[in-house]
Amino acid sequence: MEEGGSLVHVEIAAEPLFAIGPFTFTNSMVGALLTTAILLTVAFWFSRRAALVPNRRQSLIELPIEWMANIVHGAGGTRWRSFVPFILTIFLTVLVANWIGLLPGVGTIGLVGEHDTIVPFLRPASADLNFTLALALVTFVVFVGFGIRANGLGGWLKEFLGEPRYMSPLMAPIHIISELSRLISLSMRLFGNVFAGEVLLATMLAITTAAIFIMPLAFFVPGIFLGLELIFGFVQALVFALLAMTYISMAIAEHATHDDKHAEAPSADAVAAHPAPVQGAV
Amino acid sequence: MDSNLAVGLAMGLGAIGPGIGLGIAVSKAMEALGRNPEAAGAIFVPYVLGIALTEAIAIYALVVSLLLIFVVA
Repeated sequence: MEEGGSLVHVEIAAEPLFAIGPFTFTNSMVGALLTTAILLTVAFWFSRRAALVPNRRQSLIELPIEWMANIVHGAGGTRWRSFVPFILTIFLTVLVANWIGLLPGVGTIGLVGEHDTIVPFLRPASADLNFTLALALVTFVVFVGFGIRANGLGGWLKEFLGEPRYMSPLMAPIHIISELSRLISLSMRLFGNVFAGEVLLATMLAITTAAIFIMPLAFFVPGIFLGLELIFGFVQALVFALLAMTYISMAIAEHATHDDKHAEAPSADAVAAHPAPVQGAV
Repeated sequence: MDSNLAVGLAMGLGAIGPGIGLGIAVSKAMEALGRNPEAAGAIFVPYVLGIALTEAIAIYALVVSLLLIFVVA
């Protein structure tokens, strides 16, 4: 990889920009701060002048919130109101963090590092494993907390033993590992998608920049992939939020639905089919 | 330089399974939509979740190849 002069410069970890004492400031932290700033600004701006009958701009802001809340209402079970703010927060944070990577100049404007490489000022926060792992840890704590609150500590621990009790020495480690693997799969999925998207965009830009003298229309190719990344960023935010929702509603209703098919994807039908046991567990 | 081959193999072979799986999942979802277009709302959430869980396997392959590029090599 060293010889041959690589076309694109890719760094898997966030690069440090400057350090204040022992605290190192990386470029993905700039992305995370920008995400927070955008969300806070929009939230303050529109909650200050919120009207009961929304005008056009307010309904544009309310559109994704209403849409996501409708999905959680349809698929989240009977206690959807208690966790819908968390799901919405996850969704909006990941969405803005993903889309920051598509702004012009994100991977290209920066300091000059060693070997004439660029250390960008801004890196989308979700292209850093620290950010996605933090989100996954928060989600983990929340769904374990909901499980303990709904079933009690004993009931939550009993879930690990499995149903035929003589099988529990075999099943308990599997359940514990499957619980912990959610942490890895949640964080790795978001990180892998967004980071691969960044690499894809950089590669496409590098390839077409080389070809621009032969085919001037080649600049349309990165544009196509930019549009593709717009869709992927939205889908990954949706997937993270929906998985968080599924884990929480599984943790709440675990006593009621012992068969994994219903617990895996609690649809509105599954909740409607077993109304009594779900309410009994809650 | 041997690790370059390993990176390509890990990602390429790892993408075969999820590719087939995604094809099956999407074709079944489209079939269901064609048979019953009103069920679009009910299909959507399990569809996205299934796609995400299938795609996770390709992401694991990607993680392995990224590890091979940046950590092992």
